[in-house]
Amino acid sequence: MKTMQRHHWTAIGFLFGALILAGIAARDFLRMRTPDLIIPSDGLSRTGLLSEYAPDLAGTNGDTPYYLYDSRNPGPTMLVLGGTHPNEPAGFIATVVMVENLRVAQGRVFVIPQACLSGFSATEPLEGYPERFSVPTSSGERIFRFGSRGANPLDHWPDPLVYLHRPSGQQLSGNETRNLNRSYPGRSDGSIMERVANGIMRLLETERVTLAFDLHEAAPEIPIINAIVVHEKARDLGGMAVLNLEFEGLQYALEISPQNFRGLSHREWGDGHAVLPILMETSNPIQGRLRGPTDVDLILRGVDIRYQTALEVGRMRISYDAEGESLAKRVGRHLAGISAVVSAYNEMYPDSPLMLEGLPAYTELLSQGVGAFLKPPPPVQP
Amino acid sequence: MNIIIQRAAIVLLALVIIAGIAPAQGGKKFETPVLVTSAGQSADVTLVSMLFKRANLAAKPAPQAKAGDLDNVKTLVVVPGFSSKGLGAAGISREDELKRIKQLLEAAAAKKIPVLMMHIGGKPRRGQQSDDFCKMAAEAANHLIVVKQGDEDGFFSTIAKDAKKPIDVVDKIADAAKPLAALFQ
Repeated sequence: MKTMQRHHWTAIGFLFGALILAGIAARDFLRMRTPDLIIPSDGLSRTGLLSEYAPDLAGTNGDTPYYLYDSRNPGPTMLVLGGTHPNEPAGFIATVVMVENLRVAQGRVFVIPQACLSGFSATEPLEGYPERFSVPTSSGERIFRFGSRGANPLDHWPDPLVYLHRPSGQQLSGNETRNLNRSYPGRSDGSIMERVANGIMRLLETERVTLAFDLHEAAPEIPIINAIVVHEKARDLGGMAVLNLEFEGLQYALEISPQNFRGLSHREWGDGHAVLPILMETSNPIQGRLRGPTDVDLILRGVDIRYQTALEVGRMRISYDAEGESLAKRVGRHLAGISAVVSAYNEMYPDSPLMLEGLPAYTELLSQGVGAFLKPPPPVQP
Repeated sequence: MNIIIQRAAIVLLALVIIAGIAPAQGGKKFETPVLVTSAGQSADVTLVSMLFKRANLAAKPAPQAKAGDLDNVKTLVVVPGFSSKGLGAAGISREDELKRIKQLLEAAAAKKIPVLMMHIGGKPRRGQQSDDFCKMAAEAANHLIVVKQGDEDGFFSTIAKDAKKPIDVVDKIADAAKPLAALFQ
């Protein structure tokens, strides 16, 4: 038997080191699969999974929880989606704040905080995004995942070169196959996102949803930020909401959903069902191309040194608040937007109003922060 | 004697011209019925139509109005602001939209229909894509109503000042209701 030579020991050392690094990476990788803690308010009537509406989703990473708040008083039914794009945290957190605070006095509200559940288990390659962020509450920190725009590639691989939207035949870049907001109306036997889209369409139909929201964020340089995008049949509703919001000092642009851009919630929901679809966008610097350090602070405070510099030297052609775009502000805008649309809806249909209670006002979120409206994490068991 | 008559005629002619122009550029009163159109297909046209509705003024929203829609119209309201979603929804290109607005404004001028420009979208409805629409509408308008954020660089104020057109700069969209009502009194 030959004796071990020095280079053998070196190789074993490198292998051992690689194993340790792989172990650390694997631990982080698997932690992305740990579900986020969401603690519903006392007003919750029922929780369940989307597969109740689309059985093909059962057992997949697309089978996301829904939360139902039913007043048991006759009225309209509303659906709110967060986390359609898991790298847009204000939409996700706004729905978590809803789940943890909402009470419904008249009508019903479905909330789906993580519409693209699969996307919460991976981050976007080459973006340097943090895997999670924490929000301080009155007693401890709540930790949430920061995911990717589309579904986890492990749930759909490989992407085609060209994504063919069905049934329209519209062609988009292949990675849009994993984008929930290009997958409506979906198919029960399609890709994971088409199956989730199909599940949401079935929920809209089965529950006869009247008003539906899809909460998003976009880079500050994208023209459609701080905007409310509506299907043409919700044009007046959106217009009234924008004017109502202006009275609160919040400026929103109203946009009408293009009829020839298929697969989006604000288009397919409205074309397929009687529902009035609303999509809302806030400005999120961590998605911006100009951004500097990409860290948790940028998610929470939304102050970016590069955008600040551009603002100071007068090179900005876009809206960017020098105080930053904090998570509290962005969540506040989403919740204020929902309240304004609901108020406008109630003005238009006074005989059958939707009455919501318990949601924090925009000014409360700004002054107290998001954590003030999240339940503290349960104590760790010894 | 001839020189005196000539000078008197020139002065008289000037007075007639000034008298003719002054109402169009100064204290012009606008009348209903109103046609509200977009220049750039932003949904701001919906909000402006709501302002008219709240002011109890008869206004027909026609985001893609053409010259033929001006029959029986006494005021044309143009709401400039580019929207890629809006143009997509309308299925037209930016160039087509510029052409439509140019033709519509020419038709309004030919029919002597006064034009009111209302820019309410603030900064998001300014910039490279929007400014061609803003300039075209502002230059053709008899009166401008602008939400302040859209005039931070003095774009509209300068056009109004140079052409001696009246302009109302308001803080918020809802504030536009007041000058709007005054114009139609």
